Amino acid sequence: MDGSKAGRWLKTGLATAAMLVASGTASAQAEGDGSFFDGFLGGVDVSIGGFIRVENAFQTGDENPFNQTGNIYNNQTVARLPGVPVPGSPALSFAVPNPLLADTTQRTGIETSNNWSNYHILRGEVETGIRLSNDLSLIGRMRAIYDPGYDDFNANSVDFDRGGITGGDRKLYRGNSPNYFEFRPEGKRHANPLELAGENYLVYLPSLFFDYNRGPLNLRVGNQQIAWGQALFFRVFDVANGLDLRRHSVLDYAQEEYADKRVPQLSIRAGYQITDEILADAYVAKFQPTIFGNPNTQYNIIPAQFTVQDRYGDFDDKFSYGLRLKANYGQWGFQGMAVRRYNPDGVFRWTKSNVDKDLPTNNPLGLTVHTLNGFESGQTLANTPFEASPGGVYSAEEWFEYAAMVRLDGVAGLNAAINDFAPATTNLLASEVNTFDQAHNQLDTFFIASGGSLRGHIERKYFQETVLGLGVSYVVEAEPGSPLDQLIINLETSYTPDRVFTGIDLGQNFENHDASVTALVMEKYQRFSQSFPATYFVFQAMHRNADDLFGRSLRGYGGSRTSTPDGVGSANYVVLAAQQPFPNDIYRAAFAVLYDPRGSILVQPGVKWKPRGSITVEAFYSYINGDLNGNPNDTLLSTASFADELTLRVAYQF
Amino acid sequence: MHIRKFDVDYGRRTLMKNAALGVGAGVLAPLWPAIANGADLGKVYPDELLSIEVLTKGKIKPGDTLTAANVDVVKDLLDPITYRQVKEMGRKIGIIAPPKDTSVLFPSAFLESSLKNKGKAKFGPDGNIYAPDGGAWLGGLPFPDAKTGEEAISNLTLSWGRSDYCQYAIRQWDMQPDGDQAYQYDFVWAELQAQARVDGTTFQNRKDLLRIQSVWFTGPSDTAGSSFLSTWYYDQKKYPDLYGYLPQFKRVRQFPTNQRFEPLLPGITWFLSDAWAAGDPMLTWGNYKIIGRQPMLGSVSEGWAGDKKNWEPSVHGGPKGKTFWDTTMSLCPDCIVLEAEPTGYPRAPVGKKRVWIDARNQQFIAYITYDRRGEIWKSFEAGWSQYSKGNVAMKDESGKPAWSWTYIHSHDIQSNRMTRIMHTENTTGGYKSQFSTQGVDVYNKYLTNQAIQRLGQS
Repeated sequence: MDGSKAGRWLKTGLATAAMLVASGTASAQAEGDGSFFDGFLGGVDVSIGGFIRVENAFQTGDENPFNQTGNIYNNQTVARLPGVPVPGSPALSFAVPNPLLADTTQRTGIETSNNWSNYHILRGEVETGIRLSNDLSLIGRMRAIYDPGYDDFNANSVDFDRGGITGGDRKLYRGNSPNYFEFRPEGKRHANPLELAGENYLVYLPSLFFDYNRGPLNLRVGNQQIAWGQALFFRVFDVANGLDLRRHSVLDYAQEEYADKRVPQLSIRAGYQITDEILADAYVAKFQPTIFGNPNTQYNIIPAQFTVQDRYGDFDDKFSYGLRLKANYGQWGFQGMAVRRYNPDGVFRWTKSNVDKDLPTNNPLGLTVHTLNGFESGQTLANTPFEASPGGVYSAEEWFEYAAMVRLDGVAGLNAAINDFAPATTNLLASEVNTFDQAHNQLDTFFIASGGSLRGHIERKYFQETVLGLGVSYVVEAEPGSPLDQLIINLETSYTPDRVFTGIDLGQNFENHDASVTALVMEKYQRFSQSFPATYFVFQAMHRNADDLFGRSLRGYGGSRTSTPDGVGSANYVVLAAQQPFPNDIYRAAFAVLYDPRGSILVQPGVKWKPRGSITVEAFYSYINGDLNGNPNDTLLSTASFADELTLRVAYQF
Repeated sequence: MHIRKFDVDYGRRTLMKNAALGVGAGVLAPLWPAIANGADLGKVYPDELLSIEVLTKGKIKPGDTLTAANVDVVKDLLDPITYRQVKEMGRKIGIIAPPKDTSVLFPSAFLESSLKNKGKAKFGPDGNIYAPDGGAWLGGLPFPDAKTGEEAISNLTLSWGRSDYCQYAIRQWDMQPDGDQAYQYDFVWAELQAQARVDGTTFQNRKDLLRIQSVWFTGPSDTAGSSFLSTWYYDQKKYPDLYGYLPQFKRVRQFPTNQRFEPLLPGITWFLSDAWAAGDPMLTWGNYKIIGRQPMLGSVSEGWAGDKKNWEPSVHGGPKGKTFWDTTMSLCPDCIVLEAEPTGYPRAPVGKKRVWIDARNQQFIAYITYDRRGEIWKSFEAGWSQYSKGNVAMKDESGKPAWSWTYIHSHDIQSNRMTRIMHTENTTGGYKSQFSTQGVDVYNKYLTNQAIQRLGQS
């Protein structure tokens, strides 16, 4: 057994052990009082509980197009038409096509997978509360997840092609299967404190903190999550934590909101009940970023043709902090917040690949460029955002298709990659272009020169920002039983001056906009029959002026395989959700709809069945249509429209 | 030996007559002067209302057990659901003698306040209860000798637990129709009186409030952390404010306050509205009327299982032998039979409730709700007791044995689901039952928005 294999076994063993600890506890408790464990140790009270859950999402849609094995160009033959470089003349460069060197290409050696399941994991969670005194407690929750994997991309399968993929973290880009769980910023081994992760397992502590209460003061010190605001799913005040989009991304049961998604942070949180009506809540937290799905994992939304160099290691000593005041006066409620934070989502831009791999000389274009660079084209390429490796972009058509899919501008992106990395790029005969056709020709030129495809390197950086928020709520009192009676209305808005966004050209200077987010939330319980409990309805509307729900600049909307984006002025979303408990609440039906009027929709009906205290069964179907109205790149949910699926979860609680 | 001066039905006839005439408690003499003087109730009620043996002509006596074989003898002394439990579901109820000392039916301070303030309560034009100076009620029973439905419900509503602060460590089991346990929950229920306090003060000068109440679930793990804070206004026309912390949302959110007829958790048969037989502000219900007075069997004394681990008694009955608590009942000589309708909740599934209230302490001993079709739906049967048993006792602040509820049987007779609840010594999370603050800042610890956020744990 080689070292890496032994390490894998060791880590898998650790994960299994963690699960066994959880299940062992379950058995012990089951033999006790049948549900929960109480221990009383000389005035110290210990309680432990938890659950084990099997989760499976049966695929009814498509493979993820942002992954190698779901790429929409797999098995397709695409024509490439290079152009003639005219260095220093944007108007002429690559304007003239060179049909003599035209060819066709395929994503060589990469097959489309055919999984029956988008997602299948075994999850165990254990929660413990230790009451050390009347004022002091220690609260902890451990979550352990095991994912056996899928029919997925094996990076070694393309080693025959120019030596395979070279750049990027070995465990993320060069393994024989995707790394489902490790968050691996550049040069940073344990980016998430209190987390142990491997390719197939994740064990971490979403909560581990001391809770101290004395009079109106409450202090929490340790690893924790903080959620503010009344709006559900729409995050207006909910800005303290980033999101962990590994596992099931945002496609869990919508009714659960971000139950296991907020990235815990080492924090000090202080609450002070100033008066009966006014509560102050403040925190200081070690900055932890949003964690995106790794390349080629089920719900990854960063095209796998990119190699991401995450610079979180340069920011892991930073802090975020904030204050919220909340006041309740009968029917009225008010809240305000001021947060100074590092935007956990981060921003992306081109970065040097640092991959010294020569262009192949078995084609005229590669040979020419390689020769012009003193037979060291690899050194030149290393100073550009590209590496000549498989699993990248193979054609201009693919470039523009995917640029549009991730809301980038394919022409501006090319120019930024050239201009921001000159003279390396110009030494390769690349030059800025003015038109879509010039860009098309230039891209095909370099894809042919590369001997197949170029992988793009981008870096992720983080910027500090100030988020200010105001909210007001009102409970309508009308004729008892009438539709308006006890309607709860919330309006929340936040404003972030000069927020930094990923430029739609991935340029070095990013984009800056004053960003505002506003949500209107209306909630209502209404009884429709005597035998069924009240139905819960929530209606939400959101308006954003600068970015979409995923944080992408709206300027990148509207592109396509044949055009660059023209952008949109604002984004608006509507949510309608409902829950209907059955008598005794043993069954609970629910549905949620997220609608983007620009042409996409998520519909998620579901049912929860709790036949016994220890057993819970949940099933929900996610239907996503990103193509209701013309260009799918003009609307939010096309990004996730591949992920139609039926999710089934069966949990045993102890 | 007592010489019976009247026939065995005299007491019942007089109680019915008293109800019709709107007369207060007592048959031979008014009840409350006797309670005030610590007098023998033998001067207040005839023998047949004080002795189950006399009333049943010797067929049932203290020490006996009610079973399917003999329950028909006392059918009219039980609410219809309790009768059915014994007759059809194997429930057994021990019969004990009624307490000789009426003071064991109260927390001592509450009885003192009731006696001290007797006769001082009056209804304002707004339907609320006021002291002679126009301020909030002074504490204790506002109408110890309730003669109207409004007076009777006031006694139940203004002070639920009858102490200024009560904290109940509670364990609950929810049984399926087949008799198996389906769910089990642990939670804590805390009540802090803002006004109508037995110490005569107003909490933090909150003259607009009656009480602040919270409930937080501590187990099992998928429920632990769910916490709710309900702020009751003194004005009984106003619905309480309701805030809740749900673990999946990780924050305190405002909830509509009129959702008082919904199952809080899977399998639970009781609603918020059922608590204390007066779970809603009293003026949000209406059409109160006393439809009768009668003797009843009720669990009013000697019911505390303080000698058992965590105060949890044994169970029996039902298809699997675990549907009912082992309980005892004694003859309550004079019970008010009160009915009311949820007039402020036009969409409530409940059509009316019927409450049997022991005239001696003005506490309910049986409670039935009816659905909108008029069919019997659910019971919410409570047991009460002084917290002393043999050498074991739980003392209140004055050093006297505490008094509180001991158990609940909440039986949905239509679905045949049973929720049985036990007031325990402690519950998951290390929370203990107590009947005073014990010097702890309970308001900040359990009864604020911040508190329920904290109680929500992770």
